[in-house]
This record gives sequence, C-alpha cells and structure tokens, in this order.
Amino acid sequence: MLTLFTDTDTDITPKVAREYGYKLISMPYSYDGKTIYPYEDFETFDSHAFYDMLRQGVLPTTSALGEERYIAYFEPEFAAGNDIFYVHFSRAMTNTFDSMDRAVAQLKEKYPERKFYELDTKGITIGSYNIVREVGDLFLAGKTPEEVLEWGKTEVDKFAIYFFADDLKFFRRSGRVSGLAATMGSLIGIRPLIYMSTEGKMVSIGKAKGRQNAINALVGYVDELGEDVTAHRVVIAQTDAMDLARQVGALLQEKYGPSLRLEYVDVNPTAGSHCGPNAVGVSFHAKHR
Amino acid sequence: MITKTLTGADFVFLVKQGAAQLQLDKNTVNDLNVFPIPDGDTGDNMFMTIDSGCKAAPQEGNLEDAAAALSQGMLLGARGNSGVILSRIFAGISRGLKGVREADPSALKGALARGVEEAYKAVAVPVEGTMLTVYREAVEAAGKGLTPDSTFGSFGEDFLREMEASLERTPELLDVLKKAGVIDSGGAGLVSIARGIMKALAGETLTLSDTPGTAAKPLNLNAFTEDSALEFGYCTEFLLRLQRAKTNPDTFDEKVILDYLQTVGDSIVCFKDGSIVKVHVHTRRPGDVLSHCQQWGEFLTLKIENMTLQHHETTIHDGFSKPKKRYGVVTVASGDGLVATFREAGADVVIPGGQTMNPAVQSFLEAFDQVAAGTIFVFPNNANILLTARQAASLYQKARVRVIPSKSVGQGYTAIASLDADEEDADALQAQLEETMAGVETGMVSRAVRDAEGGVKEGDYLGFVHGKILTDSPDRSRAALQLCEAIGAGDRDVVLVFRGGDVPAEEADGLEAALATRFPKTEFIFRDGGQPVYDYIMILC
Repeated sequence: MLTLFTDTDTDITPKVAREYGYKLISMPYSYDGKTIYPYEDFETFDSHAFYDMLRQGVLPTTSALGEERYIAYFEPEFAAGNDIFYVHFSRAMTNTFDSMDRAVAQLKEKYPERKFYELDTKGITIGSYNIVREVGDLFLAGKTPEEVLEWGKTEVDKFAIYFFADDLKFFRRSGRVSGLAATMGSLIGIRPLIYMSTEGKMVSIGKAKGRQNAINALVGYVDELGEDVTAHRVVIAQTDAMDLARQVGALLQEKYGPSLRLEYVDVNPTAGSHCGPNAVGVSFHAKHR
Repeated sequence: MITKTLTGADFVFLVKQGAAQLQLDKNTVNDLNVFPIPDGDTGDNMFMTIDSGCKAAPQEGNLEDAAAALSQGMLLGARGNSGVILSRIFAGISRGLKGVREADPSALKGALARGVEEAYKAVAVPVEGTMLTVYREAVEAAGKGLTPDSTFGSFGEDFLREMEASLERTPELLDVLKKAGVIDSGGAGLVSIARGIMKALAGETLTLSDTPGTAAKPLNLNAFTEDSALEFGYCTEFLLRLQRAKTNPDTFDEKVILDYLQTVGDSIVCFKDGSIVKVHVHTRRPGDVLSHCQQWGEFLTLKIENMTLQHHETTIHDGFSKPKKRYGVVTVASGDGLVATFREAGADVVIPGGQTMNPAVQSFLEAFDQVAAGTIFVFPNNANILLTARQAASLYQKARVRVIPSKSVGQGYTAIASLDADEEDADALQAQLEETMAGVETGMVSRAVRDAEGGVKEGDYLGFVHGKILTDSPDRSRAALQLCEAIGAGDRDVVLVFRGGDVPAEEADGLEAALATRFPKTEFIFRDGGQPVYDYIMILC
C-alpha cells in the first residue's frame, strides 16, 4: 500500500485531502505564546478572524517541525507495511525538511524495505495546492509513484504562482522574499508583485501602484505565460480579500470562458503569517514560471 | 615550566593569563567595533565571558575537570555574540578533553579542533572573516606544524602566528570591516587571549585584577525618549532549562529554536549544552521570543537590553558620534497619525510643525543631532519652512545636510517612502527624490475662519491646492469630494487620505464610500492622521 502525505502549507483542507486520501502534516504558527497546528488544533480555518487579528497588529511567527513529529507521522505507516509519497511545500523556503531527512534516515534503518517518495512542489500555498491536486488526480487514475515522479520532473516547473501583497511589513520581517528591499519603498498603496521561482523561492519582480493595477498585473501574467490554461485548474488564493480575488476571477472568466476551472482558496495561516492580509495570488499552468 | 604536559592547573593558569591580557587590551578591542555598536562592546563582552570561566575554575585537579569548569563558567557568563562564540570554543575544548587527565600538544590539538566544531554549530549563519575564521585557521595551521618533538611553546607559536595573520585578512573576507577600515573585533579579542597565553609560556605573567562580574554601566535614559524610534531592537540573551514536563530534554533539537529565531531577529546564536539552551538574538519583540521558547522550558537567566540606549550611551562615552548609516531623514509634520506614517515611511525625526507653526532653526539643529548618519535629508513640507531648513543645514557641521524642497506633506511623504538607502551617490538620490516629488499633488480641506472674496463664508469648508482655493461648500465631505474632482483624483491609481483630528471616523467612512463609488478605478486609502487645521490631507500618488 501507498500512503499519500501533504502538508497544511499547501492550502489543502481536510475535506479536499480526503478526496485523494492525503494525510496532512500540520505546519505550525505561533503568537501570544501559543503554538497552533492547523487542522490539529482546530477543525475549520476561520480565515476572516485570523487575518483580522493580523490587521490589528498581531504578527505570528512560524517554526520548523522537529524530528520527533516527522517520526510520529511516518512511522505508523512504515510499521503497517505502507510506503509513503509526500507532496510538500518548497524545500528552499524552510529548514524543516532537514529534520524530516534525519527522521526518514532513522526510519529507513529500522524499516529498510519501506520506500519514501517525495515531490517538492517548489511552491507554497496555491502554487503547491494546484500540484497537490494534480498529483492526487494522477494517483486516482492509477499512476505509480515512479510515473508521478517522472511527471513532476517537467510539470512542477509549469505551475506558476504570481501574487501581490498589501502590507510589506510581513515580508520585511520574515525576509523570505529576495529582491524586495531593492525594488520596494514603503509607500502606502504600492504593492509588490512576487512569484515563485523554479528554485522554489519567492522573488519580487515588480510593483503595482493601486489595487486596480495589481489585479491587472496578475491577469496579465496569466495572459503572457499561460499554457493549456483551461486544461488545468486556475486557483486564486486570498488572505481575507475575497472581493479582490473575485475581481481577478471575473477578468479571467471573461477571457477564458466557461471551460475555465476556477477555484478559490484561503491562504493557510502559516504561509499567511508571512504575507499578511489582503494578498491575492493566482496559480495556473504556464509555459514556465 | 609547561613543555610537553598540560595539567588541569596549567590549563586554568594559561586561560587566566589570556584573560589578564584581554583585560589590558579590551578597550582597544572595543574600538574595533563596527558601527552601529549593536550589543555592547566586544572587548568587554569577551572579557566578562572568559572572566566568568576563570572565576568558576578550580585551582587544582585534572585537565578534564578544569576544562569543564571553565566551560561551564563561560556558558553562564557569556555576553554578546562574541562572548557566546568564545564560550562555545571552550565548550568544544572541554568536550575534546573528556577523560583526559593530562594532555600533550597532540591531545590539545584534537580538543582545539572540537572547539572549531562547536563554535560553528552555535551560529545560525557562520560568517567568514570573523573570530570563527581566525580561530579555525589558527587551529588548522598549528595542527599541521605538529611533530612528535613539538612543545606547547612551539605549538603555541604556530597557533598565534597564524591567528595574527588570519586576523589581518578579515577585512578581505568581510566587506563591512573593509568599509569601516577595521579588523574583526572578536578575532582581535582571541589574538589578545592567545598572546597572554604565549607570554605566560615564555615566563612572563600578568595579574588578573578583580572585576565585578557584570557591573552595569550607567545608562543615559534620555537617549531613548518619547519620540525615539526603536531602531536596533533589543539584545536578548537567556539560558533556558529544558523541562521534562514540556519536552524531552535528551532528544530536543535546538534547531527548532534556531529556525524560529531566524524569523524574528538576527545576530543569532543558539546552542544546547545538556538540558540548557543558550540563546542570543537581536529582536524587536523580545516578549515573543520569551513566550515562544518557554513552551520547552524555564529561564535560568535573562538579559534584555535596548540597543538604541546602548548605542547612544557608547557614543556619549566616546565623545563623538560615529556614522551608523548612510542616510538619515528629518521632516516636519503634525498629528499623531501623520507622524506615525512618516516614521513608518522611514523618517528618523519628525519635527512638530506645519502651516501655522513653523519650527525654528534650533529645532532642526536638535533634530540633526538625533540622527546619526553621514548625510541627512531634510523635508520641510512647507514653503514657509524651507528657508529655516536651509539656514539650519548651512549651520550644521557634524553631517552633510541636504534640503529637499518639499512643499507639502504629500511631496515629503512620497519622497521619503521611496528613498532608496542603497543608492550610494547622494546627488543621484537627491535627483530621484525631487523627481518622485514632482508628480505628487496634495489637496487639503480646511474650514474658513472668516468671510472672504468669491462668496466664501466663515465656517465653510474650502478645498485647495498650493494655497489656491478650488472648492467651497458648507458640507465637509462635499468639499472633499469636489476637491477630488477638481484635481483629477480619478486619473490616479492611489489617493492617500489623512483624516484630521476634528473629523469623526463615521464621517470619514461615509466619504470613503462616496469616493469609491465616484472613482471606482482609484484606490483610496484612509488613515487617521490626527492633524490640526486640515480636516483632510489628500495625497495623489
């Protein structure tokens, strides 16, 4: 048997995870001395309440998992004779996978027969979400782990994610976007445009003055880079900014017509702690990222 | 005479001699600090660290116990980044001497190498060109020269020679040193310790004078006032005892803390020694760090210091101020919200003032004194204040002052918010700032204090730009809406609106909704400016 894993940084909800049989690894965030594990410490994510709290000035932090947690997730599967296929968020954004590597190395010694496959989506939130779903579809269609990994070699780099953020303070603090300092001032109303590179890192590629230009810029990226757009899902993510997300969706719907498979998701709180409220992003199938 | 055998008492003696030398040299080491002085002085920090070790060390006993006592003492007394790294070096040496009652040069070489390992492990991002490099290269070079005939004297000579050479090379490896024209201070501290040890091996001894371990320097609390901005955050250090009730101290991986610290601060050192985790971090929110780490244990010691205070305190002692950054910004505005927005945009000092209250030359001079920068840009934000600012600039000697002739809050804000601190050429930067300002329009709404020509009645709300009245209405929101029409807000991408202190929030909400309907393509961002006189200041970016 093969057990699928993904993590909560991919924006997946338990409901969608169940469609594919994914087990969820919960990536924590902390504030006020509390550390919260999404979908372990709560059942449904109240996006509005969470991002409103950030608007009020709370700045949550995020942290890597320790080895023990990975062992707790994986060992029962190996012990039961199952192999593991883990579709995860970008290695380049975190140190958490070093702990995972150590955990897996330990378990491999104990369970030498068992196999551990991993697919790095080289993204986070919807960039990963789109791939997590596609991978789920492939397994439902009967593909083997090796076939899925082969697919990933060319396809992972074809899921582009572009987004804008509203308040730079969140990114400045986390320092997880390269090029931000050089290209951005701190002028209110100017939004950084950011994409996920093929290295799996967030890179600032420009700025948009005003909401309308920011929305147009996202749609512009889909226009410019899109490839077989309607053959795949187009996922729009937002951090309690559904109005803006729907404006992006409406413009895309207008262009691609009813065959567009549009899906809206809430950015998970752990990733959302880094981009803050009122951010909107789009993930789509592209010629390149 | 120590030649080929090192006992516990010998080791303690040598370390104490190293400490005594550092005590003599510590001010020289302090002076090497690259500005800004982030967490006290390197010489003091390293001395206090090694001194705590010496105080904890036994007079006699075997080498293993002596090294362990020195290491434990330093762990508890470690201060600052350099002190923590020094304590890790000794922790590694102590580990390397486990089970060793007496050492020959070859055994010591192995222990010194463990010191390299521990020191590198403790730092989140090891930087070459620092004391880490100086120590590592000395250990490597001395190790290579080791022969069966080596004595501690010959081994130590090789060690010190390479250490001195490595120290001289630090500016080549680390740009910040090169720019400041100094060598690495932590490395210099290590060299000083090594020199003390070599002198002792050659028979020249020093006396380590008694020092109160952690005597606090008197703080100048006025260095951080009601209006100061938290520039450097807090130097936060603690020892955390991992608790069995909270985690498994044996398997706890301190990397979890290290990863977390990287999200909240810098200058990070974090390592685990048994069930104790030592943390050093510079952060703006020490409370968060403490709360977060308390999930795994309880604190044995805690030290939190405002680094801005430390910085000013040191500059006062030095009697002169070292430039801490390339550019500083001084501007003029009134109203809490407006001042906060300027701060957020990057202003170092906001002088209270504006149309009805023009600040004096003296206010500018005092403001310049508060900014430690090579070049200070001044944004007067009002034509009436421009000359005062220029006058102050011409009088000021301690920094280069450039007045950017911003005539409105909007111009000043936009320019400050887009100031590119990485631009090295101040002329080019000034040109950029002036160009940025040129496209900005600032509209204001204010109440007429008397009747005037053109049918203006006392109590009417007037909308104007650059002193020219464009709209007039008995209704404040209407005056604002009409003003936006008159100055073409619909053609702009962003309009930033500061609500004055006299305007109720609900009224501003109503105006915000009306503007959004009237100009759907433009984004109106409302802020509670709190400014007097002007009910609305509208910045068209």
